[in-house]
Amino acid sequence: METASPNWFREIDHTGDIGIEVEAPDLDTLFARAARGMFAMLTDLACVRPGRSRRVQVEAPDRDALMVRWLSELNYLHLTEGWLFCRFDVEERTDRHLTATVHGETFDPARHTIYTEIKAVTFHGLTIRRENDRWIARVIFDM
Amino acid sequence: MALKIRQLNEYLWEIPKEGGMRVPARIYATKRMMDDIRSDNAPQQAANVAHLPGIVKASLAMPDIHWGYGFPIGGVAAFDLDEGVISPGGVGYDVNCGVRLMASELRREDVAPRAKALIEELFRRVPTGVGVGGAVKVDEKTLRKVAVEGAHWAVKAGYGTEEDLGFIEEGGRIEGADPGAISDRAWERGRTQLGTLGSGNHFLEVDYVAEVYDEEAARVLGLFPGQVVVIIHTGSRGFGYQTCDDYLAVMDRAMQRYNITLPDRQLACAPLRSSEGKAYLGAMRCAVNFAFANRQIIAHNTRLAFAEALGLKPGAAGLRTVYEVAHNIAKIEEHEVDGQRLRVCVHRKGATRAFGPGMTEVPARYRAVGQPVLIPGDMGRYSYVLIGTETAMHETFGSTCHGAGRRMSRRQAKKAARGRNVALELEREGIFVRGASLRTIDEEIPEAYKDVADVVDTCALAGISKKVAQLRPIGCIKG
Repeated sequence: METASPNWFREIDHTGDIGIEVEAPDLDTLFARAARGMFAMLTDLACVRPGRSRRVQVEAPDRDALMVRWLSELNYLHLTEGWLFCRFDVEERTDRHLTATVHGETFDPARHTIYTEIKAVTFHGLTIRRENDRWIARVIFDM
Repeated sequence: MALKIRQLNEYLWEIPKEGGMRVPARIYATKRMMDDIRSDNAPQQAANVAHLPGIVKASLAMPDIHWGYGFPIGGVAAFDLDEGVISPGGVGYDVNCGVRLMASELRREDVAPRAKALIEELFRRVPTGVGVGGAVKVDEKTLRKVAVEGAHWAVKAGYGTEEDLGFIEEGGRIEGADPGAISDRAWERGRTQLGTLGSGNHFLEVDYVAEVYDEEAARVLGLFPGQVVVIIHTGSRGFGYQTCDDYLAVMDRAMQRYNITLPDRQLACAPLRSSEGKAYLGAMRCAVNFAFANRQIIAHNTRLAFAEALGLKPGAAGLRTVYEVAHNIAKIEEHEVDGQRLRVCVHRKGATRAFGPGMTEVPARYRAVGQPVLIPGDMGRYSYVLIGTETAMHETFGSTCHGAGRRMSRRQAKKAARGRNVALELEREGIFVRGASLRTIDEEIPEAYKDVADVVDTCALAGISKKVAQLRPIGCIKG
């Protein structure tokens, strides 16, 4: 399981909104960490138990759009079904397709605090790039 | 490449047409504000908008311009109906985010002793914050009616009065909404959110009229010094956000089909005459109507909260809708372009319609002075009531600014608020604030925002709106 760590996760300052930058050794981990970073914006992940799981599949025309679709899908499940995910196992991934099993639980007001609402995951300033042996993704959320 | 920006006069700057730009970009700002505006990417975004097919006259930016997605916030752009495009990024995620101003018959001293109780009651009656269920839960069939009828549905369902409808932009219902263009996901996200304020910068504020600049216009609008008024700032909630998201994906694909190449993917658009363009227009109008219904329900619950907290008979507070404006919208309007009357699709993203005197779109009661424009500031300082002008009709497609704009990121604001009790600080100044969480209040500290007076004064200097009154806060609920 990935844990939040200052080594691979940074919050990006953006007037009015919030973004994240995550680093990983490979693209599967990068997608998983981007998801974890997004949920770290929404809640205190230390309070979320990976008791239940769910399969998620997304398709997109290219890698950037795949990142937006993946995070949007998870945000949709959070907003409509109250899911808080804390673990993300990416099982199959190409630049246009991703299948994952994601783990977490549904919102429990007694144990969870929701910090904010993400209206949308945006293409604004979105980058996925390779630097030496690291992959780096930047994503900005409309709050 | 550094952007060329030249000063045209005291309050107007131009990025000349070059490269793929089809028209110039023009920014309304004083020199001092321009230094701030130049520090982020917003001028580049205004120049990017000028690349869009069918844009007429200029890509415009109001003085509250700041960095948005694709279009800058504070952006106004009009497109020819035959040659032009429509872009979800030119409307924004929160479709028809907007502001309603309600005026009471109460004076500040009538409310001050019970102000805290009033804010608590408003907080109880108006669902606020993240993941909070709606004041009204509806099934999809009903939501389809809401999407077509807007505030009219709400009034029919018992939320508010027929009189309210005459004082909402578009009469509280925009024509041409197509529920068939809405996704299952948008229905799902909208189902539980009617009557909710939401989070972020959305709020409901009780103010008093602190200063009147134009006595005649204030009289026509029914505003007087010391009068208690209410501002409701919210939009189409998840229903609109999902609709924008859905159509950004549609437009992203459509761009290739129509051979449109743009400098920023978030500007994704389709010809107004295309099937994608028409579908987005129909869907966006559903979200516009959702927002009208949402604010109408909140307005009704505001009246109930006043009656309850102040021990008044229903209606005794006299909370009348002065006006309600949209901030994020695309509308087909007729404007003068190069000396010709032309029907265009005006995108206003973080900008307000500001129609001048005599326009038939302005309620008859206000037609002699112009359309009311409501400019919220931050919770610690002031907000403004303006009116539209003829200059706005000539220069900005009848548009003006929409608010202060942030100067700090949320993280910077939280840092600035660290170790302070912001709610208590404001209470010492006689302003009662209730937020869904302390974090919300910290993120919205007054100093996180630019001084809205600078923005409003620039619009007045440029003549694209006229100051009527300044409002100061008594209390506020924050999402």
